[in-house]
Parts: sequence; structure tokens; C-alpha cells
Amino acid sequence: MYKESRLTGLAPIGDELVKMLETMVHRGHDSSGVTVSGESLDSDLLIRIWADESSPVADTIDRAKETLAVNGGAIVSAEARDSYLRLTANYEGDVPRLADALLKTPGVVLHSIGENSEVIKDVGTPMAIDERHEIKKLSGTHGVGHVRMATESAVDISHAHPFWAYPFTDVTVVHNGQLTNYHGMKREHESRGHHFQTHNDSELIAVYLADKLSEGMDLEEALRESLKDLDGTFTYLVSTKDGMGYAKDRWAAKPLVLMETDSVVAIASEEVALRSVFADELVRTEPQEHEVMTWSA
Amino acid sequence: MVSLDAGELTTRELNRKIKDLAEKSVAEIVVTNPAAQHNLAVGVRDKCSISIEGSVGYYAASQLDGPEISIDGNAGWALGENLMSGKISLSRNAGASVAASMRGGEIFIGGSSGARAGIGMKGGTLIVGGDSGFLTGFMMQKGRIIVCGDVGEAAGDSMYEGTIYVGGEVGSLGSDAMFDDMTEDELIDLWNELEQNGITDRPKFRKIVSEKKLYHYDTLERLERTLI
Repeated sequence: MYKESRLTGLAPIGDELVKMLETMVHRGHDSSGVTVSGESLDSDLLIRIWADESSPVADTIDRAKETLAVNGGAIVSAEARDSYLRLTANYEGDVPRLADALLKTPGVVLHSIGENSEVIKDVGTPMAIDERHEIKKLSGTHGVGHVRMATESAVDISHAHPFWAYPFTDVTVVHNGQLTNYHGMKREHESRGHHFQTHNDSELIAVYLADKLSEGMDLEEALRESLKDLDGTFTYLVSTKDGMGYAKDRWAAKPLVLMETDSVVAIASEEVALRSVFADELVRTEPQEHEVMTWSA
Repeated sequence: MVSLDAGELTTRELNRKIKDLAEKSVAEIVVTNPAAQHNLAVGVRDKCSISIEGSVGYYAASQLDGPEISIDGNAGWALGENLMSGKISLSRNAGASVAASMRGGEIFIGGSSGARAGIGMKGGTLIVGGDSGFLTGFMMQKGRIIVCGDVGEAAGDSMYEGTIYVGGEVGSLGSDAMFDDMTEDELIDLWNELEQNGITDRPKFRKIVSEKKLYHYDTLERLERTLI
């Protein structure tokens, strides 16, 4: 995160995330993904859609645009790339209602809806997916990224990180670990009307946090609460419209290194990732167990 | 003195060169541009002096028997894992599991260390100039851990033998760990040892040892039975 990029000009978040992730492909090369947040938009919403293989891609893309129009959205730009669609749109209605309508559109998988952020994820290494999606072109104030080695759910595009908290705008999570109370907590959230798009435990963290934020908690409170409610091993990062943070479980089972200066916060599983962007020798710390920290963009 | 540029060599090539130089009794080896790469300077079993000019990644200086290594930077997880003899000193912060399973020699951390410092230690001395995290000395069996600052929760959890000295606050004692009395001489010896590593502060150390209620040797091993 560049702390003052709103004032001083947006930072090359996409480029730097790809560089950082590329140094850590030894941690996982099944799939990769990023959230770029704090983008400068001339529309209300930025929608990222992936067309699954259930019907021809062009048909799905047409149907998605139609759904948006039928629900009162006005498309500002539409950029289709292979089976991906990036839409910017003006929309003044209820976002969950729109998200629901899009999700019910055959072939549509929603990767994110944001007011200033987007999720780009695909199978392959960071460099490979950058070639397909031109992530390096994206500027913003902050972002998160992930390289995945799948352990407990499918290797496919939708199970790649970051996970977006359907249908809450701009809340996305990357996670290292396993949640042992995933099924119970997922059922509890579903009974309150939440919808999950995957069978991946990391998606629960995103939905859990967005739910807490929607109840009026601030990000730090939501992260602290998650330390009590989530069981298992986890270190995760969350990105929201105007902030980001991390939480680390009580066992300190997963790595995290943190570097902070007056202008930048950089966090990664390994220092080698920080070094890919910040060349100098760094003063960096390893957050201890049961810790959370947040920053505002 | 021989200088090696880590940026120009693969990890395997670099480690092979270090081992060859050490075997040929080159007394002083300098490694430049480590850039937080993993597995640097591992498996060296000859006496020599290695100076790494920058931060290192995971498993740096592991599986060593003899060398003196100084690292001017940070280290990732498991620095000095399974050290048999020799000395490792790090100027800044270390990640988790520093000195895991070390059996001898000394590891000095100028900054702080992450969780599980000295996990499964079987000998030697680990000194942490700053703080040390969760589960310091977890299941240690022998040796000493000296932490000048604070330690996190569950210090000395399930330790069998060995000693942990803490100069600052103790988050909590782990299972089967207890505070023990310290003599004046013991304290003075610790201060002298710190002074040799450039630490002039004189923390009022407390000592943590095993309460020895968790493990029992009521059942003899097969070989032991033949001795009765």
C-alpha cells in the first residue's frame, strides 16, 4: 500500500504485485491472482466476470451485459479478453440485487464487484497470467496477491485467490492456511442468507469480514473478532475500498514479514518478495502470533 | 579472502563453491547480494569464516558443523537449523524456528526472533538481543536460550531439559515449564557472555526450566532392561 498515493498520484500496484508474486512461485504455481484497489474510475462499479465452460464465451458475455442493462446498469466500458470480461458501469441500485442477477445468468462466474477495485485470477504463474491479463498496467493505492498450491479444494480459476466477499463491494482476501471450523461457520453464514461461490475455506474469511463490516465494525475490529471465531491455521491479508490489514492466528503457524516506512506498507510471506520491489536492505519484522494490524489508503 | 556474488550464481552453485572453498581451507569467504534468497550457506562442515552482506531467506546457514557465519541483515524461517558447532550471528531480525534442533555452537540474533525459537534444541546456545515470539524453547531437550527482551506466550512449552533465560516480560509459561532460582554467579556469567556479543545492557534475567511432570520414564527401553 502506498499511503498517500491518493494525494501524490496512483502507484503501479499491478506491476509490483506481479513482481512480488513471481519471486514466490516456489510456494505455489497452480494459480495466481491479484486485487488492485484504489483505482481511478469514471463509473460507479467495476465488475469482473469469468465465463465458465458451460456455454460459448461470447454468449455468456452478451448475457452478462444484458443482465446489467435489464437491472438498470449503464455500461461505460466493456473489455473482453478470452473468457474474461471487465465491465465498468454506472449503477445506482442495490449492488447485492445486481450481483444476484449476474450470478443467476448462465455461464457467469463473478470474480469481483468493486467501487474502486478488481480481482484478476487465473491458472498459471503470475508472469503467465500477467501476459494474458496485463495486470502490470493497473495503478491504484493498494492491493493483495497470491500464488496458490491447492491442498483442499479444486485447482481451477474460481478457487484461485483472492476471494471476493460476494456480494459486498471491494472486500477481498488472500489466505495461507486451513480453517478447521469452515463447514460449521459456512452453514451458519448461509443460514443468515450469505451465498458462497466456491468450496474453498478462504472464501469464508472474505464473507465473514464483509459481514462484520456491514454490521458497522471497523476493519480492525472485524480482524480482531476473526481471531476469536476462526479456528485453524491462518495468516491472511484483506483489502477493502480504502484500507488493508492482516491477521495472524494464535499458533503463528504461517509466515509473514512486514516492512513499513512513512509512505509504504509492504507485506509478504517471504522477504524475497519485498526485495523484488524495494531493493535496499530493509528493516522488517515478523509479526507475532494472534496479531492484527490495519492501514488506511 | 574470496568474494562470491549470490546474484550471479544459482543457490546450488553458490553453496557448492562455499563448501569447496571451506574444504580447501580458504579462511574467509564473503557473499554479496544475497537478496533474501533461501538456503544460502548450508551444509558447510569445515572451519572457516563466512560473511554474508545482506538479508537471507529460509534455512540460511543450516546443517553447519564448524564455520563462523555473520549475516548483516534479516533472516527468514529456520536460520541455523541443526547447527552442530561453530557460530552464527545475525545483525537484524530472524523469522520463526531459529536454531531449530541445534546441537552445539552458538547463534546470536541482534534483533528479535519469530515464533518457536529454539524448537527441539538439543544443545548449544541461542542468544536473542531483542524479543522472541510464541513457544520459545518448545520441546527443547538441552542447551540454553538467552532472550534479552520479552518472550511471547507458552515459553518453554513441553521442554524436557535445558534452560531459558528471559530479561524482559514472559507472556506466559508453557505447559510443564516453571521459573527456577538463579544464583548471582549465573547472572554475572550471562552478562559477561552478552558483553562478548556487544550487548552492554544488564537485564535482570529470570530462568525457566522444565517442571518434569509431563514425561515419565517408568517403562524402560529394551536395552535398559538388560542392565537390571
